[in-house]
Amino acid sequence: MGIESTAHTFGVSIVSDKPPYILSDARRVYSPREGGILPREVAAFFSRVAGEVVREALDTAGVRIGDVDAIAVALGPGMGPQLRIGATVARALSSYYSKPLVPVNHAVAHVEIARFLTGLRDPIVLYVAGGNTAVVAYSEGRYRVFGETLDMPLGNLLDTFAREVGIAPPYVVGGMHAVDRCAEGGDFIEGLPYTVKGQDSSFSGLLTAALKLVKSGARLADVCYTLREIAYSSVVEVLERGLAHTGKREVLLTGGVAASRVLNEKIEAMARLHGATFKPIPARYAGDNGVMIAITGLAAYKWGYTIEVSKAFIRQRWRIDQVDVPWYYEFP
Amino acid sequence: MSSMRAAIGWVQGLKLIKRGAESEIRLGPFMGIPAVYKLRVPKPYMHPKLASILVAQRTRKEAKVIAHALKHGVPAPSLLAVLPSVGLIVMEYVEGVTLRDYTFKDPEGAVGYSRLAGVILGRLHLAGVAHGDPTTSNYIVTPGGGLKLIDYGLSEFTEDVEDRAVDLHLYRRAVESTHASIAARMYEAFLEGYKEVMGEEALKVAGRAEEIRLRGRYVEERRRSVWGALG
Repeated sequence: MGIESTAHTFGVSIVSDKPPYILSDARRVYSPREGGILPREVAAFFSRVAGEVVREALDTAGVRIGDVDAIAVALGPGMGPQLRIGATVARALSSYYSKPLVPVNHAVAHVEIARFLTGLRDPIVLYVAGGNTAVVAYSEGRYRVFGETLDMPLGNLLDTFAREVGIAPPYVVGGMHAVDRCAEGGDFIEGLPYTVKGQDSSFSGLLTAALKLVKSGARLADVCYTLREIAYSSVVEVLERGLAHTGKREVLLTGGVAASRVLNEKIEAMARLHGATFKPIPARYAGDNGVMIAITGLAAYKWGYTIEVSKAFIRQRWRIDQVDVPWYYEFP
Repeated sequence: MSSMRAAIGWVQGLKLIKRGAESEIRLGPFMGIPAVYKLRVPKPYMHPKLASILVAQRTRKEAKVIAHALKHGVPAPSLLAVLPSVGLIVMEYVEGVTLRDYTFKDPEGAVGYSRLAGVILGRLHLAGVAHGDPTTSNYIVTPGGGLKLIDYGLSEFTEDVEDRAVDLHLYRRAVESTHASIAARMYEAFLEGYKEVMGEEALKVAGRAEEIRLRGRYVEERRRSVWGALG
């Protein structure tokens, strides 16, 4: 069993080490009526739905809690109030039913679910979400960060812009982000900053300049289009540099923003340019979910990673490069 | 514009010696002397307008960095021509072998050159520029026994300790990955030369480079939180 609760999704999944692997994938997503994500409100929502989501995951999989071998939980990185709900549920299940507890890093799990679903085994990975933007690749036992955002994550840039100009919430409708919808019919305009420094990108200057352009009367569709074009291009360029530097032959895209069709097309074109293989992941598994925690937890558990309930604290800033990944080459 | 296109066509007919993530490098004559033609190619995954803006900006910046470096006594290739609108820089062809290849032939001599490499990087840093990719493949040992630093494609105008430390780290990693047996001596000599130019500041930069190495990555965590503005 895997439990995810780092941001806006409370997800619980049961997986097995034999086909069909994914036995259930229950989740509830918090969507604010106005404004952004308020951690305490999301946590309150999580604690209301936690019980029914666990129940649904077990029922759909057709297993009883007694049949579960271990409980995996995302202990970080993420927002404290939400993480505490998932951790509390996991600790309770673990101690009450005497099940081993397996700590999972949410960022590692995003990469592992992408590897699992695509069959690409040794990729360079662009991980883009509301709370994270990084290019990572495995080297000597861990995922190493090749490049990342110096200020705000890509998803946060899109959300903040959409909120400030009044086209969200809701941020995502029918799998399409508000900025993507707004960009339709837009054209590229000059004047917005593109910032890639070596191996890192930066978005705060872009956000400020885009908001200023809207205020000064520029066509909203054009600003949306250009903002998206610059933001996506810059992360793909960092990914391209990472690909050249590491010499990997495979490319993956994961995280909430990985559902974007435009971003997938750009990466596809970049990979083709360098003769690398790129496989997109289904949109359903791009965003946060319990399956990725369960899949990663299963691998970790097989390698003997468990944690005592009394020591299973949440880690809000747990970096991807702080986690050993000994199962890398023997992943299902 | 058509003559410009013809000129680029001519450049593209020259002998390609390297295709990087950033540009294509070709060899050809320029007013009678051998020259390097560095052509930045628009990224096919970007909107054409954005791609061409970046090509022009970066070409202009690289040329600026090279001119600035030369002015401050850094042995960089001389600039022969710069055409930002098409992304072309023509520069002096630096004859010689890379320090990387030289080290295989003459490890003892390479230690001396490594010290000189440190002096050169120190001068560049003092001039307010971080190179961005100072590996042994970008230092050229010339037939006259000199050393030149090439490829300023990833250079930045910066005096940030972190950016300088990344340069040191990249050099160290390059010697460790290709010349493991004398890597320690080479890096030591490199630091010696670097300190000669940078003085006290060198210790701070070298210390930070050590931290970067221990982090196992190249860029410091500069964010306050993984959640950015939401945190």
